[in-house]
Amino acid sequence: MGAVSQSAEINEAYLRAQFQRCSDFVLRSFTLRDETRLMLVYLDGMIRSESVEDNFLKPLLFDGLPQGIDRISSLVEMFRREWLPLTSIKTEDSLDGLVTCVLQGCLGILVDGEASALVAQVQGYEKRGIEEPQKESTLRGSKEGFVEHLRTNTSLIRRRIVHPQLKMESYTVGKYTQTEVVLSYMQGIADEQVLSVVRDKLDKIDTDGVIDSAYIEEWLENNSFSIFPQVQNTERPDVVVASLLEGKVALIANGTPSVLILPITLWSGLQSADDYFERFVFVLLIRTIRYIMTFISFALPAIYVALSTFHPEMIPSYLMISIATARESSPFPTVVEVFLMMFIFDGLQEAGVHLPNQLGPVVSIIGALVIGQAAVEAGIISTPIIIVISLTGVATYTIPRYSATLPFRLIRYLLLFVTGMLGFVGFAFGIIFLLIHLVMLESFGTPYLSPVAPFDGKRIKDILIRYPFALKSGRNKKGMGR
Amino acid sequence: MIRFLLRTSVLMLLAGAASGCTDFIEPNQLAFVMGTAVDHADDGEIEVSHQIVIPTQKSGPFGGSGDSDSFVVMSAKGKNVFEAIHKVQKKMTRRLMPSHRQLIAISEQYFQKDDVSTLFDKLNRDPANNLRDITVLVKGDLAKNFLLLDHPMEHLSSIATGKEMEINGMNRFSTRQFIIDSLSEGTRPLVPVLQIEQVKVRSKETGPIAALSGFAALNKKLKIAGFLNDAEGAGAVWMSGKGTFHAITLPWKNGKDTLSFRLTHLRRRIDSADDHDPQRIVLTVMAQAYLLENTTSLDLSETHYMLEVQKYMNDKIREDLQLTMDKVQEWGSDVFGIGEYLHRSSPYWWKSQKDDWDHKFKALDVTVRSNVQLRSVGASGTSFN
Repeated sequence: MGAVSQSAEINEAYLRAQFQRCSDFVLRSFTLRDETRLMLVYLDGMIRSESVEDNFLKPLLFDGLPQGIDRISSLVEMFRREWLPLTSIKTEDSLDGLVTCVLQGCLGILVDGEASALVAQVQGYEKRGIEEPQKESTLRGSKEGFVEHLRTNTSLIRRRIVHPQLKMESYTVGKYTQTEVVLSYMQGIADEQVLSVVRDKLDKIDTDGVIDSAYIEEWLENNSFSIFPQVQNTERPDVVVASLLEGKVALIANGTPSVLILPITLWSGLQSADDYFERFVFVLLIRTIRYIMTFISFALPAIYVALSTFHPEMIPSYLMISIATARESSPFPTVVEVFLMMFIFDGLQEAGVHLPNQLGPVVSIIGALVIGQAAVEAGIISTPIIIVISLTGVATYTIPRYSATLPFRLIRYLLLFVTGMLGFVGFAFGIIFLLIHLVMLESFGTPYLSPVAPFDGKRIKDILIRYPFALKSGRNKKGMGR
Repeated sequence: MIRFLLRTSVLMLLAGAASGCTDFIEPNQLAFVMGTAVDHADDGEIEVSHQIVIPTQKSGPFGGSGDSDSFVVMSAKGKNVFEAIHKVQKKMTRRLMPSHRQLIAISEQYFQKDDVSTLFDKLNRDPANNLRDITVLVKGDLAKNFLLLDHPMEHLSSIATGKEMEINGMNRFSTRQFIIDSLSEGTRPLVPVLQIEQVKVRSKETGPIAALSGFAALNKKLKIAGFLNDAEGAGAVWMSGKGTFHAITLPWKNGKDTLSFRLTHLRRRIDSADDHDPQRIVLTVMAQAYLLENTTSLDLSETHYMLEVQKYMNDKIREDLQLTMDKVQEWGSDVFGIGEYLHRSSPYWWKSQKDDWDHKFKALDVTVRSNVQLRSVGASGTSFN
């Protein structure tokens, strides 16, 4: 169906047909004092009704069309003269466009005898307030987190970068969800090449719906089979702002509080916003600990197995005898034992995520008492393995971003497998394969391990040390790109 | 190509896993050998004994329980080391794991009757050994009996001796060092000597304890050239450059009072005498001294007393060390490595001398000098009396 008809009946029939069996659809027609017939269409719950009543209905119903210097014959003209006290209003000539606007929560106004409709942006649906981000909390720094509402999110960024070079390009993705996605970047700082790649990929997304920004993430990635994420997600506006200023690009999708940042490197997953808020000497310590813990998080179980069952001569004598004493009554081989514990640990973790809040303590008790204590006392699992697995588990969560922990949790199993068969030879094999994969991986043209490989002496400073801001040498104009 | 390699390696790994093709050994399939003893046996055989930790005790072998059954000693005789060890292994339910060995004890008898150098092919050239263990000589008893001993603190006598050596600054007597010394032409090994003594450890209990009782100087054929007692041994260790710290007590001039010093930063230097005559050697020992006990009435915060004490101390040290030096020289066992020094400083001269160095070492003129700095007299000032 094409343009808005002059006849109110035809328009009404079309709209009613489109919104058949939609209980939330409201079509209300009434007549003004001067016999003008108006028709309001909207979806119940999506508009701010007070605003419509105060700014639109009351003036029109009580005063009729304003009769000022000369007689106004149409609502469109009234709109053109800006006499309607609404901030965002436009005309819409096609009925399909009108339907889309109504679906997005606009108020559609049709007048009998006029071949165009007015669309007023009076969206007013319930939304969550701005809260502290749960996944990435910091000790210092902003407590604001993104919410599900797109414009709230863009405003959170805009409020922090008060500069017209901050661009927000809008795209619509998803056949049914019609999700608005905003591509945000700093013009002049962001890499044009990355931008054009992202624009291209956004246009090519062919999907029924975007439930979360994760759906977009998968479409953007070059290497879908890698275990490493090539796009970062965050709920923190300050992280997005910092990334934008570094020349990265952000994607904000409607309906999800996680904003995508790209391109990323392995290191950006290991850096926390707090690193930039605390004194740099302390950050040096914290980052060193974090990197060591990251290594522990994927390598410790394998190293333990390799040392204790393949190369016991490498462990200091007294420690080895302590381990041997603890393992004296264990019925399983060390590899199997470690695998069992890792399996149980991940199982507990998965259960913890899905548990209703009230049941949380139950899993803790079962996990700590039954598996931790009882298994050791029964002699099924040996104590050093409990220590190794719990240390590994704790180490995983020194990585500040949840999605960055996932590849390491996976590598842990793979390394354990090869090490369980070949000892340190297998461990070396595993690490070499991992490194080969990492140096080959790219995130939108940025090598995943840069600036370590390929080596960039200037930018490598930020990997471990985080120099004081005053000493940092200039902004890196090309962003994280090569 | 990469894809092919990847697939192949994954397949190979899976094949390995599926067939159970791994070679790991669980710690509870291992018998940790903490000490090994070598004794002479009749008919040209040797007896090898292993001191093996029993890890089954709940409290661990190093803590708590106080029982003496935290180890077993297994021994067997054989024509060579491997045969003996193999016989020990046959009696064991677990694989012997010698990599954590703390000590190798060899009896005096074995040194006298057999050729020690034949031991080291298996005991040390074998890559399963770590060479960080200490080689000691057990005097007056079988080495096996030393392993059978209990130690009131450490349970295992081999661990006890290892710690004893380490805590007293003698950590350069590893088997590695022993082999280096025995193979080099200009040095002879200096081996710590253990003797089993009866010590009253508790009011009702008197037990045998192995204690360090000096050092043995070996000759080229690894036969015992002579024994040095504890004090002489410490001096010899210092002069051979293997010591790290040392404590001495000197009688003061009046013969009644004493002064005790702790010597740290022990070093020594070997020089030829002024005319570069290789026959005349000057060995200078250097150290920093800290006064620890002073029963004399000297107030060492006065500089001139301090200098006097320093001079006296150096004289005394020089006298003592010279005596030790003369004694060792008489045995013809160059434990100080003077030959190595001469090898480097006068290589041509050395070529003509190195055969039968033991004999020629006796004729060498070695002068000991002492250069010990008194660094601190402590905060005690003058003594009360």
